[in-house]
Formats: sequence, structure tokens, C-alpha cells
Amino acid sequence: MSVVKTDVLVVGGGGAGLRAAIEASRQAVKTVLVSKGRPARSGVTPLAGADLALDGKSLHELGFPGDPTDSKEKFFRDIVIQGFYLNNQKLVEAYVRDAPARVKELIDWGMKVSASESRAVLTSGVEITDALNRELKRSNVEIFEDIMVYELLTRGGKVVGALGIDINSGEFIVFNSKAVVLATGGWHKAYYLNSGTPDMSGDGQAMAFKVGAELINMEMITFCPNVIVWPPSLRGSIYLYVFHLFCGNILNSLGENFMEKYPKRIAEVGTRTEWNKLILSIASMREILEGRGGPHGGVYFSLKGIPWEDVEKSGILSFAPNWKFQGTDFSGLTQKLREGEMVEVAPAAHYFEGGIKINEKCETGIAGLYAAGECAAGLFGANRVAAATTEMLIQGAIAGKYAAEYAKRVNFTDFDEKQVERFKEEALGPIKRREGVKLFELKERLQRLAYDKVGVIRTAQDLSEAINEISSIRKEKLPKLCTTTKVTEYNREWIECLELKNMFLLVEISARAALLRTESRGVHYRSDYPYMDNNNWLKELAAKNVNGEIVITSQPITVTTLKPPGGVMPFEESILKAIEALETVGW
Amino acid sequence: MSEKKITVKILRFNPKTDKEPYYQTYTVPFIEGLSVLDVLDYIYDHLDSSLAYYGHASCRRGVCGRCALVINEKISLACQTLVSSEELTIKPPPKFRVIKDLMYKT
Repeated sequence: MSVVKTDVLVVGGGGAGLRAAIEASRQAVKTVLVSKGRPARSGVTPLAGADLALDGKSLHELGFPGDPTDSKEKFFRDIVIQGFYLNNQKLVEAYVRDAPARVKELIDWGMKVSASESRAVLTSGVEITDALNRELKRSNVEIFEDIMVYELLTRGGKVVGALGIDINSGEFIVFNSKAVVLATGGWHKAYYLNSGTPDMSGDGQAMAFKVGAELINMEMITFCPNVIVWPPSLRGSIYLYVFHLFCGNILNSLGENFMEKYPKRIAEVGTRTEWNKLILSIASMREILEGRGGPHGGVYFSLKGIPWEDVEKSGILSFAPNWKFQGTDFSGLTQKLREGEMVEVAPAAHYFEGGIKINEKCETGIAGLYAAGECAAGLFGANRVAAATTEMLIQGAIAGKYAAEYAKRVNFTDFDEKQVERFKEEALGPIKRREGVKLFELKERLQRLAYDKVGVIRTAQDLSEAINEISSIRKEKLPKLCTTTKVTEYNREWIECLELKNMFLLVEISARAALLRTESRGVHYRSDYPYMDNNNWLKELAAKNVNGEIVITSQPITVTTLKPPGGVMPFEESILKAIEALETVGW
Repeated sequence: MSEKKITVKILRFNPKTDKEPYYQTYTVPFIEGLSVLDVLDYIYDHLDSSLAYYGHASCRRGVCGRCALVINEKISLACQTLVSSEELTIKPPPKFRVIKDLMYKT
């Protein structure tokens, strides 16, 4: 077994991890980056839309039109209002403060900007990761790819590295470090329909939880509407989500444009602005649950009745030149739509507001452990707006900086060999067991449970059922997971068994928090509590590992300058109020 | 229900245990709009979990480039290649070191 010694270990090859590694290395500490896939080509960053958000005045000062009348304060206010006041305002302050510098450096590193809006530059996920990767290559960061990090290593209450598995060779690698930055993204894979990639299994959150870090806002999950469910090769693509921002209609199986059933203002913003993530997701799911969906569990995207020249002029072609979007040729699908066919789409798990609790230095409360980007929590409160791409860059840089400073301050601690032996034994369990429970059945079950019962529309009954089943699977079945294939070299079944434990843990915590929060706020919609309750629920739910049990407590939210209002109001009204209070509706 | 099926021939090789590569044949149900990567996923999930191909962190959107394979004698991305014939032959691209089956070092 090889041992890699370093000052800072960064886990994750997406935007947050790349930016953290660049920053740590700049502070002249030895930095190692490990990634489950290839850095800059794995995780969800390369698939981002993508815009980078910042206040309009700073954007103007960078040489784009932007909006000279805008300010960081206004931008701050809009993020907190749209986060329904659950945001950690210290994190929002860091966000609006650092956004311009993070955007500017990416442009300096060669990222191409395709267009700009009042508060955003538009580019692509690959442009972002390629710019970061070029800068990373100029640094001294040592990179390990195709490594799954299995557990964090601890000694004397401190994190002292992580145990990894080389997915290709199946060999264990100890990364013994002074500090660890987790930048592992969300747990998209737990959802049968998601817009992420299969490496997103929440490993960072689960590992952090196990060493005692708190997970907050775990009930908050953004669903992206209009994600393709059929045909299978395009499942999970956001092409029609982007299309619908420009033109097209979403219909139920009766052919009704169901957004017309809603108040006019809700329908307007819920269709063509980013508020659709919240409004159209709930409206689509209602149609599906009430039996007006299609055979594959979606509603329909349609271009019927729209003259073709209007479609071409709508602006979609600037995002999908020649009907190519990301690396996929959509000309065939688009032609079918032109001929009047409809395509089944549904809300997909898209962004996880919840995760590891951090402060404005990206510290987790556990010595030596830092977190950044989607796996960290608090910035966006109950609803993510602006851009998660900007979040990952800002927090990546902060985490890299403070992890490096910490590494300079503390002495190197050798890892605990007994702990590593114990983890190895545990990790090899599914390979060593001769019989037991098979992966596929449990993976499929989890993906359905998460989507159906911890999804867009929540009820006490669904959540309780999910919790009961998940906790029983975690106790009875996961310890018996057994692979059919017994070799360790490139054994995806084995790796998926390890991921599955992480995802079951996170979905259970998420369901428990969602059950406790007896109100609707932002992306957390409870049809049995369809109102936002500022008198009782302006607090965050924090999950902690207490002797192996999940214990959830409520904590005060972190407020700096924007005092939340009190009162109770119907959910729809809470959205309309937030929209009215904004400086800019959507961007 | 009459189900359409396709025959998939995959070149398999575990350098640790096999003397040389060999073909294994699988039968997979066909549905319209299936990609070659969907076919590999089907085999892995339902027929043979020992089949190795780049699946653990693939993007499925033609962006990461790591599912490039020789599919019916043509190098293509498995995620962007739709199944259009009743027979598929899949092998790793030449010139790379095979880690296992369709998984290779780039």
C-alpha cells in the first residue's frame, strides 16, 4: 500500500477542487488533488449551463455592459431574499465580495465569454474547467485521477488525511496530510432522475458527517424542470430546460398548458425566469402525481403551434449552435419536435443546497477539515440563485487559502495504521462476503425512494415511509452487500457498493430534516404544510453523528445586515413577495 | 410482448488473469433511442457486473470523452452513438494499455 504525504489534500476534480488546489499551491504548501474521474472532466462542473454571477457594477467595471446602478449590497439582498432568509449571511458577504475577482481571473486564464447579462457572464462549464485546469498545470499540484476517497483519517480529534482506492488497480492509497479540503459536489446519483453525473454520490458529506462535522439544510434540494426522461440516451439532459427558457410549451397528457391554471404572475416568472426551477418543478410534479403525465413519468415539451422562424429567432441557437448542446447533437430530436412530436420531461435532482456546515473561512469545526462548493452548505439558504459556478470558485479559493495557512501552523501527524487497517477491512467487505445482498436491487430502490418520497413535493406520510425503509435497509441490508465480481481491479460494482452506503445515509438525513421542517420554504415544499412560517422556522436544521445515530437539532440562522421579516404566509404568496422585493427578477 | 433484441460482442481481457483477449456475446433488449453506453450499463446492471468500461465518472453528454471505443470498427463515443444495428461489436481503441475489458489507460 502506497502512502502519499502532503500538506494539503484536495478531494474533488470539479471547479471547487481545482480552485482550492490552485490557491493552496500558491501559498507554497505541498498540495495533492485527488479526483474520482479525470480532473476538469468529471463532476458536474463541465456540464454547467453556464453562467458566472456577480453584481452588475463590478461587471461593468470589468468592461461588460453590466449595470452601473447595481451594487454588491443589492446583489447580497437579492440572494438572501431568494434564499428565503435561510442563508448564512456571512457566506453571502464573502460571495458578493469575491465574485468579481474570481470571474476576472478566469477570463485572464483564457475562459471565453459568449455573452453577458446585467449580473452574469455566459460561458460553458468546459470553458470554466479548462481555464482552471490550465492554471492548475502551471502550479506544483500533484494530481491523482480515478481515485475514490473512502474515509477521512483522524487522530486526536484532527483530520490527518484520507484513505483512497485506486479504481483502476483496486489498490488502497493513504493520503497523509495536515489538512483536507472536501470539494466533492452533490449526491445526484441517489435520484433516479438527475442532471448530474454518476460520480456524484455525496462521498464528502458522508465522510465529514462520520468524523463529526455537521450537515445543515439537508432538506433543501433544487430540482430542474424539463429534464429529458425519454429517449434513454438523452435522459438527464437539460437541453429542453434551456430551450424552454426561450420558447416552447410544457403540456400534460391531456394537452393542457398546465401553467395557465396558476395566477398570471406565477405563471410568467415560473416559465421564463430561473424561478421555473422552483415553480415549474412543483407544477410539473403535480400533473405527474395526479395522473396527467406520460408513460415514462414525465410531462411533455412541445413546439406545436409555434412558427419555426420564431423558434430559430428565439435565442436558443446561441446556446445550442446547429442544435448541438454540450457534446450532444440534438438536431434529430429538434427535427422531431418541429414535426409536432412531443418529448417527455420531468423535474430532476439538480443542486443540493444542503451539506457540510462551514464558516466564512470554509472551516467545518473539525480541525484540519475544510469544505467548498456544492458539498458545503449555507450560502444559498433555501433556494439557490445566482450561480453555483461562482460559489465553487469563491469557496474553493477561500478553502485552499485557509487550509494552507493551517498546514503552515501545525505539525505533521502520522496516520493511525490501525484505523487504516479497520477501514480497509470494512471497504473490502462486499468483495470478501461469499453471499449477501446484491448492489443493483438496492441502488434502484434508493433511486426510486429518493425521487418519489424525498422529492419535489413532500408529505409527512411519504417522508416517514422513506425514513423507515431506508433506516431498515441501512441496518439490515447494507452490511450484507456482496459483489458478484470478486476482483478488485476496475470493479465498478465494488465502488458502487461503497458509494451506496454514503447515499443511503444522506437521503435518510435529508428525509429526516424534511419531515421535521413543518413548513414550506424555497425549494422545500410540503403539500401538508403549504405555508412559510417565519415565526417558527427561521432556523437551520443541523444533523450530527452521535455514537452512530443521526441527531438533528435546530440552530439559529446567521444574520449580518438583512433582518428577516416575521409572519406566516401561503407558499405561493411567499414566492410572489420575494419576486416583488427583488432588484432584478431572474438573471 | 414480443421484444426486439440485439447481439453485443465485447472484447474482454483482464491482464492479471487472462492470457489473451477473447470475445464474449450478450443479448440485450432493444428500445428505440438506446445509446451504446446504455447497452453497456444494461449488461453491467443486469447480466454481468464484471464487465469493465469507463462508467464510474462518465458525463454521458459527449463532454468528458472517456467512453471512446471501437464500435463496429469505428472509433466513437459510446454515449453519443445510438444503436442502429442488430449486432454490435465493441472493443477498446488500439494503442492504449488495457486495464480491464473496455477500460484503458489514456
